[in-house]
Amino acid sequence: MSSVLPHPTASSTAKAAATDKPIVNYKPAIFGLAGVLLIMVAYRIYQQIFAFSAGLDSTAPEFDTYWMNLLKGELVLLVCSWAGLWSYLWFTRDRNLTALKPREEMRRYFRLVMFLLVYAFCVYFTGSFFGEEDASWHQTVVRDTSFTPSHIILFYGTVPLYILFGVGSFIYAMTRLPRFAERISLPFAIAVAGPFLILPNLGYNEFGHAFWLMEEYFSAPLHWGFVVLGWSVLALGGVLLQIAQHIYELMGRMEKESAAA
Amino acid sequence: MSAQLQEGSVTTIYGKRWSVEMADLSRTLDRLAVAIIFIAITAAFHLHYVLTVGDWDFWVDWKDRQYWVTLAPIILIFFPAAVQNVLWSNFRLPIGGTLCVAALTIGVWISRTFGFELWSYFPLSLVWPATMIAGGLILDAVLLLTGNWFFTAVIGGMAFGLVFYPVNWPIMAPYRLPMEIMNSLVSVGDYIGYAYTRTATPEYLRFIERGTLRTFGGHSAVVSAFFSGFVCILTYMVWWWIGGALSRVVTIPNRLKFAMGMPEEKVVRAEQQA
Repeated sequence: MSSVLPHPTASSTAKAAATDKPIVNYKPAIFGLAGVLLIMVAYRIYQQIFAFSAGLDSTAPEFDTYWMNLLKGELVLLVCSWAGLWSYLWFTRDRNLTALKPREEMRRYFRLVMFLLVYAFCVYFTGSFFGEEDASWHQTVVRDTSFTPSHIILFYGTVPLYILFGVGSFIYAMTRLPRFAERISLPFAIAVAGPFLILPNLGYNEFGHAFWLMEEYFSAPLHWGFVVLGWSVLALGGVLLQIAQHIYELMGRMEKESAAA
Repeated sequence: MSAQLQEGSVTTIYGKRWSVEMADLSRTLDRLAVAIIFIAITAAFHLHYVLTVGDWDFWVDWKDRQYWVTLAPIILIFFPAAVQNVLWSNFRLPIGGTLCVAALTIGVWISRTFGFELWSYFPLSLVWPATMIAGGLILDAVLLLTGNWFFTAVIGGMAFGLVFYPVNWPIMAPYRLPMEIMNSLVSVGDYIGYAYTRTATPEYLRFIERGTLRTFGGHSAVVSAFFSGFVCILTYMVWWWIGGALSRVVTIPNRLKFAMGMPEEKVVRAEQQA
């Protein structure tokens, strides 16, 4: 990196990055993880209370009250949170990355890693916790709508949340870290775009369940699109390797700078 | 930690000298990366597992001596093979198999408890997940001893398929006891499946079983395990390669980098040169 980019002593955005400020700040990650956990626990309690009492018949008025209203709220939240976080990250981007100091760059790398941690935590609730729970509902209860108590939480609650953090982490890396801005990381793009496409693939799933297969077999080929897109999470390994390589180089630069000082 | 020596403000890690601050950063990255990898594997492996062979894993009456024994190990070896490649090739860590099945086991037990038992009210005795820890340990042991992906595929892959049924047998055995219900010969597992109605899923027996003595295991389970082991060898090879491909650091030029705070490269066009 140092052979490619000049590193002037003054940085436009990193002026505030005093050397005494700690490089690793766990607070955003702790808030992120705790916030996600809180939302997921709330969703699960809501299901426990209203799924069997108000979620068995989609034509019933109470279904509209407790489930369709929740869905509408989620859709509004989805649009607002995506637009809010992604546009915030874009408009507050570093406009002079070539002037970034190594210490601030290192700080941003750790912030990115914690972004990815929150992203992975959200993906867990989709792929594992609520994903399998969806089977326990649909194999037990007759499906009379696409918007069932398990789907409203799984596809319109947890999936948009991990998309928020996945795409957010990608934008963060592209707008704040020179190596990611210089060249697009394919494993990063795959690790974010693959799980993202689970949401559009839902259209195919619902079409299939509406016209071909009302019963629920989890292993039915209709679901294999989700499987293939889920494999793309493995590309997070490539992203972490890339980050580790960058951090290793950065550590060398920081050591040289402190030795020179 | 034997590779790390600390003298004052300098730490030596694998022969390279770092300041204590840099060494701390390195360890912090390790810890965060381990957490991300474990959570991501749990999510992706679980999604892959439930949407391919989940039905066999959910219900005790689906756990037959034919398709469950054959399909579950074939599907289960995908992620261990891929993750073994990443961890062995880059870090010489022979833990990919055990890591994957441990992550999956934790994921399925959490969802089986909070989803199937506490939400849909199926007893855990009907929805317990299969165990696959032994297969993961064997895969890692073969990789550690041979240090070679090909031998791990051939020996470890076959063993992975073969051990699945025997290691699950102690849990499975009570559900294979024969009983007569309405003049039909069924297993205890089948009867539980009948008794706890799954309104939106027809009974598995209607498709698979024919009510003969083969229903209770016998040589057909062994044949299924060997076939499964054979296919595991092939799928291991494919997924070893996929793991390497997905974790490769590949980048392409960013044509919009000027909008992201990077200087635009000056491209001299052919007509300008002329």
